[in-house]
Amino acid sequence: MTSQAGDIEDIAVQECPSNMEDAGKAEVCVGCPGRELCLEGNKPDPDQKIIDTRLRAIKHKILVLSGKGGVGKSSLAVMIAQLLASDGKSVGVLDVDVCGPSIPLMMGVADQPVLDSQWGWKPVVSPSSNIKTLSVGSLLASGSQAVVWRGPRKTSLIRRMVKDKLWGRLDYLIVDTPPGTSDEHLSIVKLLAHTHPEGAVIVTSPQKLATGVVSREIRFCQKLGIPILGLIENMSGFRCPCCSEVSDVFSSGGGEYLSVKYGVPLLGTVPLEPQLTAAHETGSNFLVQLPPHSPTVESVRQIVVTLQAKVEGN
Amino acid sequence: MSQVPDNAPEHCPGTGSEGAGSADACAGCPNQQICSSGVGTTPPDPDVGAVRERLSGIKHKILVLSGKGGVGKSTLTAMMARALITLNNNTEVGILDVDICGPSQPRVLGAQNERVHSSGAGWSPIYVCDNLCVMSIGFLLNSDDDAVIWRGPKKNGLIKQFIRDVNWGELDYLIVDTPPGTSDEHLSIVHYLSTSTSTSTLAAVVVTTPQEVSLLDVRKEITFCQKLNIPIIGIVENMTTFVCPKCKTETAIFPATTGGGPQLAKDTGLPLLARVPLDPTVARDCDSGLNHLTLHPDSKVTQMYMKIAEQIVEYCNGKKQQ
Repeated sequence: MTSQAGDIEDIAVQECPSNMEDAGKAEVCVGCPGRELCLEGNKPDPDQKIIDTRLRAIKHKILVLSGKGGVGKSSLAVMIAQLLASDGKSVGVLDVDVCGPSIPLMMGVADQPVLDSQWGWKPVVSPSSNIKTLSVGSLLASGSQAVVWRGPRKTSLIRRMVKDKLWGRLDYLIVDTPPGTSDEHLSIVKLLAHTHPEGAVIVTSPQKLATGVVSREIRFCQKLGIPILGLIENMSGFRCPCCSEVSDVFSSGGGEYLSVKYGVPLLGTVPLEPQLTAAHETGSNFLVQLPPHSPTVESVRQIVVTLQAKVEGN
Repeated sequence: MSQVPDNAPEHCPGTGSEGAGSADACAGCPNQQICSSGVGTTPPDPDVGAVRERLSGIKHKILVLSGKGGVGKSTLTAMMARALITLNNNTEVGILDVDICGPSQPRVLGAQNERVHSSGAGWSPIYVCDNLCVMSIGFLLNSDDDAVIWRGPKKNGLIKQFIRDVNWGELDYLIVDTPPGTSDEHLSIVHYLSTSTSTSTLAAVVVTTPQEVSLLDVRKEITFCQKLNIPIIGIVENMTTFVCPKCKTETAIFPATTGGGPQLAKDTGLPLLARVPLDPTVARDCDSGLNHLTLHPDSKVTQMYMKIAEQIVEYCNGKKQQ
């Protein structure tokens, strides 16, 4: 992107190759600062066999994606896991958000370290729901220390998390991801690729500010060939506890808009619920903390029923 | 800044440090031989002069940080910029959006269809009004939903261009909207903005929402700033409570189970700049690129953003006099 003196030209970024296998090799890659990393990323992984063995013991792997931060990916990952577990499924949650891992707090395992064994890292089990968890937060136990890592180091840790974790046999592995479409996402998609994850659940909030970013995540999935199981619109309205008036705190219509535009099913909408935040913050099971017929519980239950039908029906 | 290679072990002293190659942490590192021979030190960046030149016209650089996503960084950036101009309409403000994967500023500022032009003077930022300009990857993408699947080095390269190649001109304030986290974008922007004369300000405003799940990440962001010697002007707690438009009952939708922004301010000794309520009209105005401050001059949110701007001005004027 250079210009001659006196010329006026439009500036646009050149797109990366649409086929990820060409990353680093295409003409557009010449001179790109990320080229070496892309070429490195496309080399066969010497530990792929171990990784595949670990992952083949897990029947269904579902990514929770958004692109946008703060829409409730971790919250939904935890609720989906807790509902599946309540249905008698064996469930694990993998948290690959290196900079901002929320899973240990939400699963009530913030003070539990990850133990090593001769077969690999043993799972940290959530006391409120018998769900196995692995989070960067549990591995690094950094407290308030910032994890200031560039992309390749994050990728390397995520790879270890998949390779060295002793999940054992599971019905479901729910993968919580950070916002964005970058190193962490490329890395986890590549690691799971050989063992055919079911696909991704994409979370948005109702606002256009969110859907603008989430559209890019949908296109990310399309570009990388990740099946999209459906969309969830979270923070969808707030019912006043006093007068029951429903307010569109974060606007409305985002989920429906994305569903229509990209032909992706809208699995459900989940309202704002202060009791849910409180449940997450104490690491409690939301099914225990919230009334059974609360709109949040009913909505997430319906979402999980639909997801199970899609995933177990295949 | 001393360079730490991506394949370096924990506690790497940095390739440019005196202990490079010989420290205890270097044992077993693939770069050990290079570092101890002295030939692996990072060559000086040839663009330092150009970066310094561009930054020379910018008086105060304010990073809007959080660590947590969705707390309102982009909204705060835009509103703060507009508030600074409302306080004094001779103020020249620029907004730099370094959220490469999820750029929000074009929409929030109502400039989505603009394109960036380049001339001999550099890339022209987009002017939202006479004294507010903005640069974002959002203006450089060919479609409004294309995924930006870039690894770290490519993001870093664009951030450098945003500083080196954009014709910012003379600005009183450059406000930088950042993505969540503490990674490539944050390290890069701090690195380039620090390439400047000592008379200009580089400081941060940290944004949180009341709940512990946010504070967890925001505490990390605060230690990030402390690690890199970036002074923090203060903390903004966003989405504090919601007032029902019908019955006026106030509800904490995101409860401050561990004391929220006020407790964080107390624990860290940082000023609490404001507590901003949840107002649905803010979300709607941002979605439509409208200026909430002029449309709703008497709203509680507008009052809070003006208060934040006043404290920014006070801080920056105080730094100038030191």
